[in-house]
Amino acid sequence: MRGAQPSRWAGCGLLSPVLLLLVVAFFAPLAFMAPVSVRPYRPGVGIGEGFTGEHYARLVSDAFYLEIIGRTVLLGLSVTFLTLVIGYPVAYFLARTQSRWRHWLTLLVVFPLLLNLVVRTFGWMAILANRGLVNDLLMALGWIEQPVKLMFNFTGLLIGLTHIFLPYMVLTLMGAIQNIPRDLEHAARVLGSGRLAAFRDVTVPLSVPGIVSGSILVFVLTITALVTPRLLGGPTYQVMSTMIYDQFLRLLNWPAGSAMAFMLTLVVVATIGLLNRAARRWGVR
Amino acid sequence: MRCTGFIAGFAAAASVLAAPARSQELVVAIFGGSFADNAKICHVAPFEKATGAKVVFVFGSSPENIGRLRATKGRPEIDVAYMDRQIVIQAKAEGLLDELSTANVKNIKDLYPIAIDEDRRWVAFMFSGTAIAYNPQKVKTPPTSWADLWAPEYKGKIAISDVSYSAGMHFLIAASRLNGGSVENIDPGFEAIKRLRPGIVTFYTQADQVVTLIERGDIIVAPWYVDRVGAAAAKGIPVALAFPKEGTIGITPTASVPLGSKRKELAEKYIDVLLSPEGQKCYAERQYAGPTNKLVELPEAIAKMVPYKENIDTIFFPDAGYIAKTLPTWADRWAREIVR
Repeated sequence: MRGAQPSRWAGCGLLSPVLLLLVVAFFAPLAFMAPVSVRPYRPGVGIGEGFTGEHYARLVSDAFYLEIIGRTVLLGLSVTFLTLVIGYPVAYFLARTQSRWRHWLTLLVVFPLLLNLVVRTFGWMAILANRGLVNDLLMALGWIEQPVKLMFNFTGLLIGLTHIFLPYMVLTLMGAIQNIPRDLEHAARVLGSGRLAAFRDVTVPLSVPGIVSGSILVFVLTITALVTPRLLGGPTYQVMSTMIYDQFLRLLNWPAGSAMAFMLTLVVVATIGLLNRAARRWGVR
Repeated sequence: MRCTGFIAGFAAAASVLAAPARSQELVVAIFGGSFADNAKICHVAPFEKATGAKVVFVFGSSPENIGRLRATKGRPEIDVAYMDRQIVIQAKAEGLLDELSTANVKNIKDLYPIAIDEDRRWVAFMFSGTAIAYNPQKVKTPPTSWADLWAPEYKGKIAISDVSYSAGMHFLIAASRLNGGSVENIDPGFEAIKRLRPGIVTFYTQADQVVTLIERGDIIVAPWYVDRVGAAAAKGIPVALAFPKEGTIGITPTASVPLGSKRKELAEKYIDVLLSPEGQKCYAERQYAGPTNKLVELPEAIAKMVPYKENIDTIFFPDAGYIAKTLPTWADRWAREIVR
């Protein structure tokens, strides 16, 4: 009868595609970068031999770098919060509506994803520029005299990234909300709970897994985004990803760039850990 | 679960798959855009005709190209690498480049001395520089000096390059020299650009951003590359070139052969075409590249637009080795003091 049982190797077989992907695309670059990040770097000469912790030390001791790390995390949290606040009602509506337009409305949410990221970002540049749509309109209306600075700063990145990552939040939340049996909400109403209370005490807590995975997804996508910050932030408004890019590709300082990349990974892992813990507490409340 | 064997197996399989399929082609890492388009016409076509070999282009900026060489040190996948001077100096210091043989690169003997590395690890195949680009429809009296850029009429109408690109570091150097400083004593440059800062519309990071900025009317003046001005003006963009009287700051794109190239001789023949009078004349006419070969004779219309002959003496070539060492410090200061 033992032969009928699945072999112990079957699990490995099922895991192998993702294992292959992780080994090649994730662990190999990490294994390459880890030793590089502790090598000294001499501009004009190259990557030296030996061991140094200076790249990490500078990251945590220099006010300039700390500001950029802090701003990156703040940006990630703000975009996550905004997509959650804007996305939840949309996702709730799409998950619960009986409308025959539902599929079209869902498609509308997905539609921005079909457009190239660079094109979408250029769209925002045309809208937010000093002589862009928003400023031209406000000036034509006489509300402002000088253009409002909407680009190359926190505002510009916040607007652009929130728009770009909103579909991810909506789709994740939709799945989670669809999985909550409607009967539970009905039961709460039958037992005397108001519409709002039923939403607050039943629907939201049950959708916490969706909120957590959506938030993690959006947070990670935001703080690792490169193209949008480069175009909307420019050289004047740096975040960690653009700083890493500059170290690698403009200053050729691979060791410092690697150290920053590990710092970014650390930030991501720490945030995911914190979010998961917070969610567990919230869940058992 | 005993997955270790699987992982090891996959790692082995992946490394086999990653090994590149090689054929008898010459792989050239070159800058993109019109640069490559014109290289196809001026250099690749005659080279392929003469040797029967096939040239494959890989596109990248200088830092990307040195990155490729670093990552594949000693067993490069490219045979000819285009890099700007301050980058190629670093590639040489890192031991990534092979020595060029004068037997194969015959035209080396006709180059200006400044275009040849003392150890023949690279050669410069063109002169360009950072000068002043302006919109002739909006600017009545063309600027004649770097100092003119601080004039009130350009306030809010000027863009400058970020410091890590040639045009940016060159403008910093020009600003420093203008105010009693030098490449080594760069403080006056930073002070001057700080004064200019409130009137700067944007810091561009791609050369062709200047085209859009001028077309949209966002700016009317910018420190920009000599060759780009020529190419943009030829396309009908309202842009003209002013050579500041203190001298343009020189740029010398170079070509080199990575150490370990399996087709070194072929690569050297390609570089020989780059340096040939015909190849350089063609590139001057199409790409506004100043020839580094003394024998090149240019028609007058082109000669005015590019660094050429006695003009070359007025170009200021900063010490690329010093810049390579110092640029990270400048970039750091720039990020903190200028753009922050």
